[in-house]
Amino acid sequence: MIVQALAFYLFAAVTVAAGFMVIAARNPVHSVLFLILAFFNAAGLFVLLGAEFLAMILVIVYVGAVAVLFLFVVMMLDINFAELREGFLNYLPIGLVIGGILLVELFLVLGAWAIAPEAAKFASTPTPPVEQIANTHAIGQVLYTKYMFAFQVSGLILLVAMIGAIVLTLRVREGVRKQRISVQVSRTREEAVALRKVEPRQGV
Amino acid sequence: MIADIALALPEIFLAVAAMVLLVFGVYAGEKSTRFVATAAIVALAAAIVLVLGRQAATGFGGMFVVDAFGSFAKILILVGTGLAIAMSLGYLRDQGIERFEFPVLLMLSTIGMMIMVSAGDLIALYLGLELQSLAIYVCAAFKRDSTRSTEAGLKYFVLGALSSGMLLYGASLVYGFAGTTSFAGLAQVLQGGGTPIGVLVGLVFIAAGIAFKCSAAPFHMWTPDVYEGAPTPVTSFMAAAPKVAAIALFMRVFLVPFGGMVEEWRQIIVVIAVLSMVLGAFAAIGQSNIKRLMAYSSIGHVGYALIGLAAANQEGVRGVLIYLAIYLAMNVGTFGVILCMRRATGYSEEISDLAGLARTRPGLAAAMAVFMFSLAGVPPLAGFFGKFYVFMAAVNAGLYVLAVIGVVTSVVGAYYYLRIVKLMYFDAPAEPFAANTDRGVGVVTVAAGLFTLFFFVYPAPIVAGAQIAARALLP
Amino acid sequence: MYAAIVFLPLIAAIVAGLFGRFLGDRGSQIVTCGAVITSALLSIVAFFKVVIGHQPTTVMLFDWIVAGDLQIAWALRIDQLTSVMLIVVNVVSAVVHVYSVGYMAEDPHKPRFMAYLSLFTFAMLMLVTADNFVQMYFGWEGVGLASYLLIGFWYERPSANAAAIKAFVVNRVGDFGFALGIFGVYLAFGSVDFATVFKASPDMAGKTFHFLSWDVDIMNTLCLLLFLGAMGKSAQVPLHTWLPDAMEGPTPVSALIHAATMVTAGVFMVARCSPMFEMAPFALNVVAAVGAFTAFFAATIGLVQNDIKRVIAYSTCSQLGYMFFAAGVSAYPVAIFHLFTHAFFKALLFLGAGSVIHAMHHEQDMRHMGGLWSKIRQTYVLMWIGSLALAGVPFFAGYYSKDAILESAFAANSGVGDFAFAMGLAAAVLTAFYSWRLIFMTFHGHPHDHHHFEAAHESPPVMLIPLYVLAAGAVLAGIVFAGMMTGHHWQEFWGSSIYVAENHKVMATFHDVPLWVKLAPVAAGVLGIAVAYWMYIRDRRVPAGLAARNEPLYRFLLNKWYFDELYDWALVRPAMRLGRLLWKGGDGRVIDGLGPDGVSATVIRVTRRVVLLQTGYVYHYAFAMLIGVAAFVTWYFAVGH
Repeated sequence: MIVQALAFYLFAAVTVAAGFMVIAARNPVHSVLFLILAFFNAAGLFVLLGAEFLAMILVIVYVGAVAVLFLFVVMMLDINFAELREGFLNYLPIGLVIGGILLVELFLVLGAWAIAPEAAKFASTPTPPVEQIANTHAIGQVLYTKYMFAFQVSGLILLVAMIGAIVLTLRVREGVRKQRISVQVSRTREEAVALRKVEPRQGV
Repeated sequence: MIADIALALPEIFLAVAAMVLLVFGVYAGEKSTRFVATAAIVALAAAIVLVLGRQAATGFGGMFVVDAFGSFAKILILVGTGLAIAMSLGYLRDQGIERFEFPVLLMLSTIGMMIMVSAGDLIALYLGLELQSLAIYVCAAFKRDSTRSTEAGLKYFVLGALSSGMLLYGASLVYGFAGTTSFAGLAQVLQGGGTPIGVLVGLVFIAAGIAFKCSAAPFHMWTPDVYEGAPTPVTSFMAAAPKVAAIALFMRVFLVPFGGMVEEWRQIIVVIAVLSMVLGAFAAIGQSNIKRLMAYSSIGHVGYALIGLAAANQEGVRGVLIYLAIYLAMNVGTFGVILCMRRATGYSEEISDLAGLARTRPGLAAAMAVFMFSLAGVPPLAGFFGKFYVFMAAVNAGLYVLAVIGVVTSVVGAYYYLRIVKLMYFDAPAEPFAANTDRGVGVVTVAAGLFTLFFFVYPAPIVAGAQIAARALLP
Repeated sequence: MYAAIVFLPLIAAIVAGLFGRFLGDRGSQIVTCGAVITSALLSIVAFFKVVIGHQPTTVMLFDWIVAGDLQIAWALRIDQLTSVMLIVVNVVSAVVHVYSVGYMAEDPHKPRFMAYLSLFTFAMLMLVTADNFVQMYFGWEGVGLASYLLIGFWYERPSANAAAIKAFVVNRVGDFGFALGIFGVYLAFGSVDFATVFKASPDMAGKTFHFLSWDVDIMNTLCLLLFLGAMGKSAQVPLHTWLPDAMEGPTPVSALIHAATMVTAGVFMVARCSPMFEMAPFALNVVAAVGAFTAFFAATIGLVQNDIKRVIAYSTCSQLGYMFFAAGVSAYPVAIFHLFTHAFFKALLFLGAGSVIHAMHHEQDMRHMGGLWSKIRQTYVLMWIGSLALAGVPFFAGYYSKDAILESAFAANSGVGDFAFAMGLAAAVLTAFYSWRLIFMTFHGHPHDHHHFEAAHESPPVMLIPLYVLAAGAVLAGIVFAGMMTGHHWQEFWGSSIYVAENHKVMATFHDVPLWVKLAPVAAGVLGIAVAYWMYIRDRRVPAGLAARNEPLYRFLLNKWYFDELYDWALVRPAMRLGRLLWKGGDGRVIDGLGPDGVSATVIRVTRRVVLLQTGYVYHYAFAMLIGVAAFVTWYFAVGH
């Protein structure tokens, strides 16, 4: 038990610290690396909850794909972050004050935490015990049935994101030479080869 | 499952239509834009028919609610989107951004709005909101070679992400304290009173998220910049349908799951409404760009609509729905006129360019005057009735101060609307605009003008429809 | 069919009004005349169906206003009262439409004129078919608008514009009362539907409401307010001043609006609301007294007028007074019967006068006419028929209705009834007198203006045929309908559309008055004619001598009892003074003084600050949102929840 508690506090503390560093780091590449660290620790928290599927998904999708993509983008774009940060300090005090107030209030909220007693019966999808069913299986069971609506709408959202990316970035350039295999293959000898009689000392 | 699908038939139909048109557009190329747009309008009209055919029921495990309230809002949304598409083609062609993705994106955004107003669960709410917003972010930046347009898209996207974050944060707080995300469940848990403060804090965050979408103060800051920067047809779309959706969502969320905590949330809604009305009235006076002016005007109008929400009774809901229907018409019409502000050198957005319009283009000036008087709430134009029903509800709910502030800010607001009328009718003419060649803009503007002008003759269908819708939401 | 009766004229008005330029003069005339004639034929069919076939009905068109308890529909209430009014309105309107084709032949704006006429017809039909007070008010204001437009039709004339404005403003006083009455009805009955209100009226009789510190009888108050509206529209003293001035409009307009239809709307309304008036005895007495006084009053002024149309206008005013006092003694069927016959002979007189004016090239002063009978024989005969009917000479239409009115006033057997009888009898003498004064001055004697006299010519058939139609009505309307409308079995004719309380027995008893009462009106008529003959044919010096000997009385009558001067002194000038005071002092000094430096400057100052908030930086915007959320959360922590 104590090991679990220690692991929880370790992961949680590192996650928060890494999250802070994401916005505090001077070098944007470092920021992304801290983001990856935060993802890893969040995955660790999922493992502690027994949600090993989510943990792995987090590592594979977020760390493996999303964050790495971020990294590429940040490295390729030549952004002068120092310039963007100018004036940042001017707003630090007021930001800190507002953030501090919100934080204190949220702690107060947490202090009074109690799930409403009537809520128990609404836990309509109780997590099945791990012994009975693996949680990958459990997610699969509800994802396409109970949450089909949400799943499909998410699909539409991704479709919009895709269309958006294409609309905003795809440019049809003039004069781009593309390989057209069908044309290449269907070329005949007649149109490809022309016999010319070349007179001496005259050229074509 | 079949019953669930039947329930969501309008949305599914629209989604399939959007995808079919997308594929068609990809194969047919850019020349197909006009056809895709026409087909999109037909599909939206068909969706209206389908919406009318739905019976009230709940599906998809409580995530999707079909009732008269939702159907009323959906019809407004579908009409708003259809009109926006109809008005957009000429502008897109002139600006060289006539691309078939535009109508498709608006359709997808419309699906998002329909999911929003039908949401029966915080998850569905968030997904609908995100689908709606994402498509609009893209549309705002649609004129990607223009710095202003891209800036608008980017600003809207960044701030929208922040607001989504707040909304999710609030939803998770609510879930954490109430133990459920379903509206029906929340209503049951929260009806007894003695609400945990965590739910209340969560509600504040959710309110912030939705208020951002309908650009209510103090979450309105993006509005003027984005309205000004985005291409005009996109602005006209943003100012109409999504606003209807966001306010309808506001009502559904606050009156159904959180209906038991009216006394608590009314305090913030009142503040939001007052701030919006005051800001909308005062800030608009200083504007010289007509789209920016309309942005502030829309902020003010959201404030008026929220008065009806603050009343938190059937009459209030009815008032807001009538208000939205009328607002939709006035707004679409005004943007129709703005889309006619075209010279050989390009589109104009300066208010001063309207000077003397009554002499150079009397018909256009008359239409604009009708919309301005209506937006200012001058009887017997439609805008007056919108305000009237909402203020009545507030008075009957005992919110006298709110109603008085509403009336006072209407008076201040009338200043800048009437200033435009004065400019058009009494000032020396500016360089005249080119004749309008786009039939879509003409037809929509005239239709909106006639509706605004003659609403008072036969208001019964809309009033009765809103009454039925309000009864469905608050039995 | 009923909807067609009402809406055909509207469609014609829209077509002629908006597309008159494309249709041309002839096209507009055909469209409007065709529509109204069709309406007139259909309303005759409707009359047979409803009255003879006993099939009153209500046609629901659609919901109009649904706001909480207030539910108002567009519906056509077609009962016996309405179908009689439909005939009056549509037949006279059709006749006037056709007549206008000839009368306005030289006018450059024919489509506009025809469109206005049709629009008026539509509004009037809306008024008489109304199923509730609000719809009636719509028609009421509609005819007011059309009347305004038509009086001011020749808008180049300042006097026409002034008359149009006067008609509108004076009517506004009455309409204000009418509107208050409608509000009161809604307040008292919770509905504005005729059916609902009339059903509930008996229960409301005698109840009072508390106003300031008085207890006021509800029914009397409501009926008096409604009657105020009727007074405005039907030109009863003291709201009569607009009617004579309204003669500035073209003559067909005077015939249609200011003789046959619109001005009778007040009488119609009182009859329509008979279930309410029956419960308000005091209001009924007021109606009778005002009517009786107007009947006499207007007749006295008619004696000395020189403008041919004004004479007829005052006679209209006077005849409307008859109708009101008949209604005031609970003889509503008699009032409507007189309305019915009056529509024919008065329209005939007006159109006949129009024919005279047409012949005289738009000369209206009778002193410049004379001896015309040889030039325009047909018009002369028609004017005789109209005047005989008006004077109540036996067997013409007016004889039946006017006799019945005087008899019912006598039979009422009350103070007000006797007053009305006396006034009515006196007015009958005066009526006959001024009618023949008109005829003698216009058609007999020597021509005063030889230039016009030589050029005088008979009107074209398109103007004369309508006159013959009306003349037929003026001769036959009485003899045919007297028994049906006012006989012992009047209830069979009117069905439930007119209600008379059990204790009001005038309708039953007026047939049995003493013989001298029955003969008195005829005698009065003959007396009036004889005096006119003596004064204007036999001894032409008498009128001038009388006027000279009774100079003050003559001036008094010629200046219409100084009503216009009284209003000018009591209302118009003080209002102007007050307006000037508020303009210079109130608006100029106080509001303009404080405004620019005060309110509007503040607004602009606030605006500048608010606009400064909009910096354009995303992080400012984000901060604003966060501050908002933080403030709201803090608010809940601060006040508790």
